[in-house]
Amino acid sequence: MASFTIDDAGPRARSVQPRRRRPGAKLKRRNTLIGWSFILPNFIGFALLTLVPVLALFYISFTNWNVFGTAKWLGLANFRRLVHDASFRTALWNTVYYSVVHIPLTLVISLALAMLLNRKLRGVAFFRTAAFFPYITSVVAITTVWNLLFSPKYGPINDVLRFVGIANPPGWTTSATWAMPAVIIVGTWREMGYYMILFLAGLQTVPRELYEAARMDGANAWKRFRHVTIPCLRPTTFFVTVMLTIGSFKVFDIILLMTNGGPGQATLVLSQFIYNTGFVNYQFGYASAASIALFVICIAVTIVQFVVNKRRAA
Amino acid sequence: MTLVNGAPDTRTLTAAAARDRRADRLTPARQAARVLGYLVLIVAAAAVLLPFFWMLSASVRGSNDVFTIPVKWLPPTWKWDNYVQVWSQTAMVTWWKNTLLLSVVVTFLQVLTGSFAAYGFARMRFPGRDVLFLVYIGTIAVPWQSYMIPQFILFSKLHVSNTLWSIILLQAFGAFGVFLMKQYFESVPEELSEAARIDGLSEYGIYRRIMLPLSTPAIASLTLLTFVNTWNDYLGPLIYLRSPNLWTIQLGLQTFINNLYNQNYALLFAGLTLSVLPVAVIFMLGQRYFVEGIATSGLKG
Amino acid sequence: MKRSIPAVAALAAVASLALAACSGGTSTASQPPAASAGATTASGGLCGTGDVTLTVSGWSLSTTPEFKKLADAFHTKCPNVTVQVKEYDASNYSTLITADLAANAGPDIITQKEVKYVTTFVSGNQLLDVSDLTSQLDPKLSGLTSYQVNGKQYAIPYRQDSWVLFYNKNLFDKAKVAYPDGTWTWDDYVKAAKSLATALQAGGNSSVFGTYEHSWQSTLQGFANAQAPKGGILTGDYSYMKPYYERALDLQNSKAQVDFGSITTNKLTYQGQFGKQQAAMMPMGSWYVATLIAQQASGDADKFNWGFAPIPQYDSSTTGTDKTPVTFGDPTGFGINAAIAKSKVAAAKGFLVFAASTDAAKALAGIGITPALTTADVASTYFATPGAPTDALSKFAWTTHKTSPENVTDPRTAQVQSILNDAHTAIMSGSSSIDAALAQAKQRVHDEVGIG
Repeated sequence: MASFTIDDAGPRARSVQPRRRRPGAKLKRRNTLIGWSFILPNFIGFALLTLVPVLALFYISFTNWNVFGTAKWLGLANFRRLVHDASFRTALWNTVYYSVVHIPLTLVISLALAMLLNRKLRGVAFFRTAAFFPYITSVVAITTVWNLLFSPKYGPINDVLRFVGIANPPGWTTSATWAMPAVIIVGTWREMGYYMILFLAGLQTVPRELYEAARMDGANAWKRFRHVTIPCLRPTTFFVTVMLTIGSFKVFDIILLMTNGGPGQATLVLSQFIYNTGFVNYQFGYASAASIALFVICIAVTIVQFVVNKRRAA
Repeated sequence: MTLVNGAPDTRTLTAAAARDRRADRLTPARQAARVLGYLVLIVAAAAVLLPFFWMLSASVRGSNDVFTIPVKWLPPTWKWDNYVQVWSQTAMVTWWKNTLLLSVVVTFLQVLTGSFAAYGFARMRFPGRDVLFLVYIGTIAVPWQSYMIPQFILFSKLHVSNTLWSIILLQAFGAFGVFLMKQYFESVPEELSEAARIDGLSEYGIYRRIMLPLSTPAIASLTLLTFVNTWNDYLGPLIYLRSPNLWTIQLGLQTFINNLYNQNYALLFAGLTLSVLPVAVIFMLGQRYFVEGIATSGLKG
Repeated sequence: MKRSIPAVAALAAVASLALAACSGGTSTASQPPAASAGATTASGGLCGTGDVTLTVSGWSLSTTPEFKKLADAFHTKCPNVTVQVKEYDASNYSTLITADLAANAGPDIITQKEVKYVTTFVSGNQLLDVSDLTSQLDPKLSGLTSYQVNGKQYAIPYRQDSWVLFYNKNLFDKAKVAYPDGTWTWDDYVKAAKSLATALQAGGNSSVFGTYEHSWQSTLQGFANAQAPKGGILTGDYSYMKPYYERALDLQNSKAQVDFGSITTNKLTYQGQFGKQQAAMMPMGSWYVATLIAQQASGDADKFNWGFAPIPQYDSSTTGTDKTPVTFGDPTGFGINAAIAKSKVAAAKGFLVFAASTDAAKALAGIGITPALTTADVASTYFATPGAPTDALSKFAWTTHKTSPENVTDPRTAQVQSILNDAHTAIMSGSSSIDAALAQAKQRVHDEVGIG
């Protein structure tokens, strides 16, 4: 049926380089050249328009730049200040809180959705669209509506909770304890359709023959999922995990519009700390230092994911 | 995972699957499970769409009837006039045209250069490749707000701010597409490329003849996600597009609402509804491409 | 202050009425150059020389007619000068202006929308020193000090809103509560709010409240800063805010005011709450006058009798119409871009002086805007706007007050205000006790800003 063969049901480990590559200097140079020719069209735009400003940001983080005029070199002073800044620590802690809950939750839900909607059902187009709708609807609209739903006194959510006998339902976005869970719920709800699409695309790479073979061997649904779906989906899962991690650490607009970091500093996250430091307090040097900190955290996590992924692939 | 149907995929019309389908019809338990599955799906869809329903309902109210205590799910009075107002008082057609132009060009460039670069990262081996790739991902990790001003200064020096080019340049060469396509390419069997190489295809030929056709789902999702992101972007156009004749839908609508003497959310929601619909229709029509994969495209026989 | 739009703007309907009624007369009256008060120099000095085109930053032009109004009036006065208004998004004004100035693409005249950023512009050398203009200004012009840094003047105010107490006469009558009379302290106000709530809610309507205090930190802290004896955002100790918060929480708990959580989650608007008669009173800035008139005309607000009174006072030492009530508000002013072409400087300075003159003040008052110069003459133009209240107390409240700046002109202001805003949301949502939140604010201001 298909023109390729599959030899095992395990991870389809593949060499990343053309197999005919021989360790010859000439060939190596040729490969490098071809490789760069592929990357270059994108890289030129990327380097000039994104990389240069980002490098400028690295420089700015060592200065006291306030947008106007010249910047004075401060060395590590901004970073020392970060370490002792209680607000930064609060923002960091809140960001970690958000990420640690939001990442696995979204991962599981979006994968489940993708599995569920990766089949010929009557009306599957409608359900796929429904799942993706939160993402295409403007974030202003969805945060407004969710705030209404979460309204502690007049909101439908607490009406339901009271109806089932919970006398003192949470204050959600108006409570320091519940604001973060509320924001996580909305974040997950909004992004599940987004990652569902990526998983849907990934699921198409799973050869159906493997399912057939597994079924012949008498594997039940869970085993097929565990031993066929999961391993074959690894490149997609890696992509989704990295994007989800970075996205969670950078979470901004939902929180800005729902709670604006409050009440108090209960939902202050790193991106907002950076934005306020820059555009409210006009301390762009300090804001840049905080961005670098965020960058380092994201990159560290990504590298760990990279290594784990490589090890699994091997 | 088998909530609706015992088979993981009913599209494979092999004998085994066909047997499964017959079995579906025969067992009452499976029938019940299927009905139950649909019920769950419908309830979940309703829950997911509830906020959108509220947006629709709010879009046909008077400006001071939107936020009330207690929450009203249906408009106290129906004010269809909001749609007429948004349409007639704004340059919706211009915004629409700009947004469409930007979304199409950005998406095209992103998919093209992104998938091209992705092939380099996924299939070519050369020194510095992994570090370069990490740099790509690294820039995703830097919040845009923090380098917005340096970038604005740069774009102004290049004389592209306040032109549509600024948004195209801003969005088209992002790292997202490269990363997504690279991951997908890596799951295409290397044996295929190998066979093609033996047939004398160059790397560029393999990219075009083998990889792209096999990657319909990934290209479809990248296209859709890039399109939606460009369509809904607010901050980018806000900073760069200052002349009203360059505005996009999101920027135009927000500015229109901000300019009213109070924030008229009813009008805003009417406008947002108008801006969401085209994307929803595109999605409805295009969603089947997400699941059009290796089994159904190109490779048969 | 987080007022997201400069709602001072009048709706086109009112504006056009007002324009027909007043400004036509004003501009004819101002034809002879002699009428320009304060500006004793020859009009040639005001206009500069040669044909000049000035750009000035503005926002929401369709509903903020003040920019166009001033630009046109100045062009009439100085035909050689054309003033072009460059429109910015109102809620992102500071960000966009900052980006433009950073890229050297700013307008000639930079409208100072938020006082807390004046020092940033000054320390970044973005504003021209205009100290030489102060001698040409009316001594009654308010808000000048907000634009002084290190003894130099960097912008000239043309508009000065201040906070007053709006009240719905119909609801007061219905509840049989006496109107505010200018003698109220905050305790009187709380008492009235409670009686109003009791009477109005007795009718079975539990969603009508005695008063509406919007969720902004200004609504409480602005008054505490201006009125409390030890008040001031740069003092580093915020315990003086405690009585203000105690009263606010008391109002919430006794259901005389809708609770903070509902305001934020249900996105209640002050225009909706007062305009749709959900509250009998509301402390708010004078910009709301024009909005309310416009909304009553368009039908977005109910039709009812209303007026405004001086804001309640800290104690009786400043109450009564024979005293000067203390309130707060920030001016809006024009500054000159330091990078302006030399040939344009004279005309730009002329525009700044003109915008602060009696002529300009009357033109602004005619479209429902509170100018920085509120003489009796200007007041009569203002209250002649159709739909405006006509009672004596409203006029008193508009003309007589000591307006403390909400934002002190200081580089630390922006940062302190955001810390105080965190305290505000923590207290009002009940996440934190008053003492704990104010103590934390003190600690943070000490650690992060270095005060105290």
